[in-house]
Amino acid sequence: MNPVLPSEATEFAATAAKAFAALGGVDAARRAEEEPTRRSAEVVAALAAIGAEDLDPRDNPDSLAAAAALCEAAGAVALPFPLAGTLLRDSHQRPFAVVPEGIWRVDHGHLFPHWRVTSLTGVHAIAASDATPLGSRLGPFVTDLHALAGSTDDPGEPGGAPHPDLATHLTLTAWHILGTTGRAVELAVEHVLGRVQFGKPIAAFQSVQFQLADCSVAVAGLRELACFTLWRLTAAPEDALTDALALRMHAIDVARTVLRTTQQLHGAAGVCDEYDICVLIRLVQPALRLPWGAERTTAALAEAIARHGFEGLFPHGPAPR
Amino acid sequence: MDFDLGEQAATLRTRLRALIADAIPEDYLGAFTNDPNDLEVAQQFCQRLAQEGLLTIAWPTHYGGGGGSMWDQTVVREEMWAHHEPRGAQYMGLNWVGPAIMAYGTEAQKQQHLSAIAAGAVIWCQGFSEPDAGSDLASLTTRANADGDGYRISGQKIWTSYAGMAQWCVLAARVGSGERHEGITMFLLPMDSPGITVRPIRSMLGYHHLNEVFFDDVAVGPDAVLGGVGEGWAVIRRALAHERVGIARYARCERLLSALGAALAPHWDDLPASLRVQWAKALVQVRVARLLAYRTVHAQATGEVPDVLASSARIAVTQCDQAVAEVLCQAVEERALDAGPTAPLYGAIEDHWRYAQAATVASGTIEVQRMIVAKALLGPRA
Ligand SMILES: Cc1cc2nc3c(=O)[nH]c(=O)nc-3n(C[C@H](O)[C@H](O)[C@H](O)COP(=O)(O)OP(=O)(O)OC[C@H]3O[C@@H](n4cnc5c(N)ncnc54)[C@H](O)[C@@H]3O)c2cc1C
Repeated sequence: MNPVLPSEATEFAATAAKAFAALGGVDAARRAEEEPTRRSAEVVAALAAIGAEDLDPRDNPDSLAAAAALCEAAGAVALPFPLAGTLLRDSHQRPFAVVPEGIWRVDHGHLFPHWRVTSLTGVHAIAASDATPLGSRLGPFVTDLHALAGSTDDPGEPGGAPHPDLATHLTLTAWHILGTTGRAVELAVEHVLGRVQFGKPIAAFQSVQFQLADCSVAVAGLRELACFTLWRLTAAPEDALTDALALRMHAIDVARTVLRTTQQLHGAAGVCDEYDICVLIRLVQPALRLPWGAERTTAALAEAIARHGFEGLFPHGPAPR
Repeated sequence: MDFDLGEQAATLRTRLRALIADAIPEDYLGAFTNDPNDLEVAQQFCQRLAQEGLLTIAWPTHYGGGGGSMWDQTVVREEMWAHHEPRGAQYMGLNWVGPAIMAYGTEAQKQQHLSAIAAGAVIWCQGFSEPDAGSDLASLTTRANADGDGYRISGQKIWTSYAGMAQWCVLAARVGSGERHEGITMFLLPMDSPGITVRPIRSMLGYHHLNEVFFDDVAVGPDAVLGGVGEGWAVIRRALAHERVGIARYARCERLLSALGAALAPHWDDLPASLRVQWAKALVQVRVARLLAYRTVHAQATGEVPDVLASSARIAVTQCDQAVAEVLCQAVEERALDAGPTAPLYGAIEDHWRYAQAATVASGTIEVQRMIVAKALLGPRA
């Protein structure tokens, strides 16, 4: 038993965090919103400089751990780049995305001409991106893709087996969400220590302490589940989808409460773009809602557990193995 | 016991809905979007309401009002907020600036301001919060130094809604060297006074919503003081009590939940069962929030000062706002990220989510409301 992420992964993530800080941290995302054309090159260069391009999470458990830690570092600064998708690119350099059944909606979809997409029901396709991003406040970079005419590559079957990269993609996205929520707690800690009201830092108020303590426990729990899920993807690949759905569901739940609380602790500053917390919360929305939000994810999880069971000290599901 | 607001309220509601349907575009999301025409729509709508005697329906007739009841006022508030507040920035003047001037103003102030507000011709902003004075408003440091028989005001306000579009400001500043509530004085001053600078703040809300306002040696006469020098805290308390009941957030929540069927059609039946559960729970939460708000109005109507009730209602209403925002987003799934004309309900769901995040901070944080409720509950021994 060893619940600790391999030190190579942690070190790699620390290097990545430095590289992202050199881009200006959350400012890179702000710039991307202001000047949508510029950012891709600077982020790609930063990722290349740390060797992220050579990383393939499908290679071995260590690569998977490094990819996860990298996604966490990216989530902490709302890196304006589809990292999970590009880590899972194919030999044609096409990134991978899990998409809703309805609209094939992908965050940062416009950065690549072609994508490999899959839905939960097993439809795989090559998709083209030629639409402009939504440009909305909650999904500025979200782009709708469409099926690439004439593509026969990797078609999959409706109702067929899930795509082999699906669980990994969900897991890496959850690590991104973990990065955002963890950073949100750090930002709130900094804020409440510095913000004086009623003659003292608001950190001195017990209700503030309790709120932060709850957030911190929630993030710690999510981190453990995220590590456990990495291990399970390799140790029990047959349960990959169930475990990844469980992680995604929990990540969304934790993000919802932690982001709400940490934003609240910022007062009005929390809704203001000059503060990192506001940008993080806006820009993580696509990860929380694509390919499915909490309820759809939970419904899919419940179904997966009913069919395949759930790891624990006792068997679960109507037909335990 | 009878929870029916009555025939008169029902008639008023029908009339307001007809007016809104006639004057407000279906895709209207309030006055603070990127489209300057939206502010214009609000301004014209206020004048129309004024002409029909509906803008200040519950003000006394001698101040240009309709002499209606607080329940009439409640219906107006619900219908307006439900339809993205087509009174735009003017609701502040109607909700509490006018009533505060009625309660504390001089005859000259009443003459000057009340009829202008009732005519739907003026936007007010509220200069209370400062960079270092948020929840702890009594620590404000904007100063009003005596100068002849008037004052010179210097300092900074922040988070001032609508400051960029307002003609007038109710400003809280400190006269003399007192601490905490001492010396806090309210001023009514025109926003085009020399020495005032407004800087917009980019936020999750509409582009023109929040602002910083700088006061650099702004000269005002003695007649700008509202309610007496050093008496500002009483005015603020009254203002905030009005403000807390002034926004019927639950009404928009309910309207959007009701419109969800149309937004989802024909996919309503595909909603996961768990989401239907959330949706039903949200409807109940909205109802409870509305009833708590009604209890506050009832107390006001019977002459009580509903401080604690107002805070209780506000806690429930703002929590309901955020819970419903999430349910709505979940229901429209990936399209929750859409804004603009092709988005579900013309972007109302996305807009509502963004605004709801600020609900537990604007007009005093939910924690401050909790303190008020807890203090009343626990008394002086706590
Ligand atoms: C949309 C919006 C519109 C606004 N419009 C206006 C306006 O028009 N005019 C105006 O004057 N102001 C306006 N405000 C400002 C608003 O009144 C303040 O934001 C609010 O009073 C909180 O102050 P703050 O933002 O400085 O937060 P802070 O007071 O710094 O609070 C930060 C956090 O600490 C918590 N906290 C503070 N003290 C305690 C304590 N003792 N115990 C426990 N927790 C505590 C708070 O609850 C909050 O979570 C607006 C704000 C918003 C969001």
